[in-house]
Amino acid sequence: MNRFSGALDRLGRAVLAGVEEMGKIILLFVSVLGWMFRPPFKLRNIFKQMEFVGVKSIFVVVLTGTFTGMVMALQGYHGFRMFSAESLVGGTVALGMTRELGPVLTSLMVTARAGSAMAAELGTMRVTEQIDALYVMAANPVKHLIVPRVIAGVLMTPLLTVVSDFTGILGGYFVGVHILGINSGIFIKNITRLVELNDIYNGLVKAACFGLILSLIGCYKGFNTYGGAEGVGRATTEAVVLASISILISDYFLTAIMF
Amino acid sequence: MFSLSSEAKVGLFVLVGLIILGYMSVQVGKQTLGLKKGYTLEVVFDSAAGLDRDASVQIAGVEIGRVESIRLQDGKALVRLRIVSNVKLEKDAIASIKTHGILGDKYVEIYPGTHGETYLAAGERISRTERQADIDKLLHQLGMIADDVRGVTSSLNRVLAGQAGEEAITSILTNTKDLTRNLNHVIVSNEAALHAALENTRQLTGNLNRVVTQNDEKVRQVMDTLKSASLEMEKTFAALKEITTGINRGEGTLGQLVKDKGAAEKLNQTLASLQEVTQKINEGRGSIGKLVNDDETVRNLNEGLTGLNRYVNKAEQFRTFLSYRGEYLFDKSDAKSYLDLRIQPKEDKFYILGVVSDPKGRRTTKDVTVGNTPTVRTEEWDRDGLLFNAQIGKRYKDLVLRGGLLESTGGVGIDYMALNDKLKLSFEAFGFGRDRRAHLKTGAEYRLFRHLYLSAGWDDFVSDQDNRSIYGGFAIRFEDDDLKYMLTTTPIPK
Repeated sequence: MNRFSGALDRLGRAVLAGVEEMGKIILLFVSVLGWMFRPPFKLRNIFKQMEFVGVKSIFVVVLTGTFTGMVMALQGYHGFRMFSAESLVGGTVALGMTRELGPVLTSLMVTARAGSAMAAELGTMRVTEQIDALYVMAANPVKHLIVPRVIAGVLMTPLLTVVSDFTGILGGYFVGVHILGINSGIFIKNITRLVELNDIYNGLVKAACFGLILSLIGCYKGFNTYGGAEGVGRATTEAVVLASISILISDYFLTAIMF
Repeated sequence: MFSLSSEAKVGLFVLVGLIILGYMSVQVGKQTLGLKKGYTLEVVFDSAAGLDRDASVQIAGVEIGRVESIRLQDGKALVRLRIVSNVKLEKDAIASIKTHGILGDKYVEIYPGTHGETYLAAGERISRTERQADIDKLLHQLGMIADDVRGVTSSLNRVLAGQAGEEAITSILTNTKDLTRNLNHVIVSNEAALHAALENTRQLTGNLNRVVTQNDEKVRQVMDTLKSASLEMEKTFAALKEITTGINRGEGTLGQLVKDKGAAEKLNQTLASLQEVTQKINEGRGSIGKLVNDDETVRNLNEGLTGLNRYVNKAEQFRTFLSYRGEYLFDKSDAKSYLDLRIQPKEDKFYILGVVSDPKGRRTTKDVTVGNTPTVRTEEWDRDGLLFNAQIGKRYKDLVLRGGLLESTGGVGIDYMALNDKLKLSFEAFGFGRDRRAHLKTGAEYRLFRHLYLSAGWDDFVSDQDNRSIYGGFAIRFEDDDLKYMLTTTPIPK
C-alpha cells in the first residue's frame, strides 16, 4: 500500500515537474518577447549569434540535405519502379524535402550544433556565476543573453532550410538522372508540376517555429543549470533531447494545421 | 589574411539563401502565376468523381488551366475552370474528364470547337460535355456477363455431373478408345498398301492439278458451253418427244404422212415440183421469177411500202370525235342541242361539222322592194329549221382559235384550255348583222368523267332582242374509231 502510494506520488511529481517546466519555458518566451522590442538593440550581439547558428551550420545542413535527397531518390525509385512511375521520383523528392525533411532535419542539425552550444554556454555562465554578476550590474541576462539567440534561431533556421531543400533536390536530381537514368526533363517537369509555392512557404514557417523551439529550450536549459560541471553536461543533454522531441511532436501538429 | 566580419558573413548567407528561395519559388510558381490571371469558364458534368481542385485542364495534352472549384448543382457537378488568358475556346468546344497515367489522376480535357465559331467569354458555360468511360458501369456489365457464363457452366455441370453423365462420358471415351485402336490396327496392317495408295493419289492429284492449271480458261469455257448445251438439249428433247409421240399416234399431217404411204408419195411429188418452181424463180423465169430478180420491182415495192407507211401514220394521227351538247336556257325555259363531228387530222388542227337545233328555229329574212317604197324586210322563223356549224380550228398550246359558220352565220370563237384540258373557257361571236347586235356567247365546260362534261355560261349577252340567257347543260363527247376508218379509207393522203 505504501509502495503503491509512493509510485503515485512519483508519477504526480513527474507530471507536475513537466507542466512546471513547460510553464517556465512559456514564461521565458513571454519575457523574451517583452525584452525583444526594448532598446537598446545590441545588433552586434545578434549578428554574432546569427553567424554562429546560421553561417557555421551551413556545411552540416548542406551535407544532410544532399544525402537525404539522394537516398530519397534511390528509395523512391525502387518503389515507383514497381508500377512504372519512375518519373515521379523527382516530384516526390522535392515534395518531401520542401514539406517535411528540409525543415525537420535542418532543425535537428541546428539543435545538435547550436542548441547544445547555447545550453552549454549559458549553463557554464550560470555555474560560474556570471549570470548573477549580470544581475549585480543591473543588466538583464534575458535581454543580453537570450534574446539574440532566439532571434538568431528564428531567422536562421528557415534560411538553412532553404539551403537544405535546394541541395536535397540537387542530390535527388543527381541520383535520379545520372545514376538511375530518369529523363531529366520529365524529372524537372514533375517537380514543378507537383510542388507548389505553398509547399515551400509552409516548410519555411515550420522551420521558423522549430528555430524558436530549439533556441528557447537551449537557453532555458542553460539558464537554469545547477550543480557544477556535471550540471552543465546534464543541461546540454536535456536541451538537445527535449528540443528534438518537441520539434518532432510539434511538426505533426504544424503539418496538420497547415496542409 | 582577409577575413569577413560576422555581419558580412550573415549578410552573405542571407543573400544566398534568399536567392535560392527566389529561384525555387519562380521555378515552381511559373505556371501558377500565369493561371491566377486567366478567366473562368463553367462546365457541368454528370459526375466529377476523382476530379480535384487544381486538377489540370488541357488541350491536346498542353495545360491551359486548372480546376478552380467543384460544386454541386441540381445533382450534377458544376466545375469552374480557370483558363490562361491567351487561350480562347470556341462556343462548341467539348469538355470531358480523362484519366492520366496509371495512377488515375483525373484531368479535364477540352476538345477545341470548330474554327471560326465565336469564342466563349469569361464566366460562360461550356455546354457540350463528353461522357467518360465509367469504370463502375463497366464492372456492372462485366458482372452480368459473368452471371450468364455461370449459368452456362452450371447447366453444363448439371448435364455432366452425376452418375449418368459420368457413365455417358466414360462410354464415349471407351468407344473412342476402341475406335482409335481399330483404326490403328487397320493402318498398321495395311501400311504399305496405304502408302502406295497415297502415293498414287498424290501423283494423280499432281497431274490433275497441272492439267487443270494449264487449261483453266479452256476448262471453264467447256463447262459453260456444256451447261448451255445441256439446257438446250433438254428443251429439244422435250419438244422432240412431244412431236414423236404425236407422230406415233398418227396425229397431224406428219403423222398421217408417216402412217400413209400415198401421202408420202404425194409429198414427194409436191416437194419435187416446189423445187422445180424455186429453180425457175431463181433462174428468172416466169412472172414471179422476173419480179424477184428485177431491181426495179424492189424499188417500186420499197416506194409502195414507204407510201403505205406514211398513210398508216397519217391514219394513226387522224382522230374523230363525236359530241352531243344540250344546253338549258334558264331565261327562255327552253333547250338548245348541238351535234358535232370534230375531225382532227393533226394534234393542233381540227374541223368541226355539226347541226344545231335552236328553240327559236331558223331565221330567214326577205327584203321586198316595190317601186319607190322603202325596202320592207320580212323575218321568218322556221321552228323546225336546223342551224349548221362548220368551223376550222387551230390550237396554240392552251389557246384554240376557230372560225367559220357558227349556227349558220359567220363567226369566230376562242377557247382557253386549262387544268390539263379538263376545263375549257370559251368565247364565241357570230351572227353579225346590220340590223341587230352580234350574238356573243361565253361559257365554261368542265370534264366530269371521261366522256361527260358539264357546261354553263351566258348566251347572247349583248342581245338587243331580249335573247340573253344564262344556260347550263351537259355534253357527251367520245372518240369514234369506226368513223375515222370510214373517213380515212376514202381519201388517200399524199
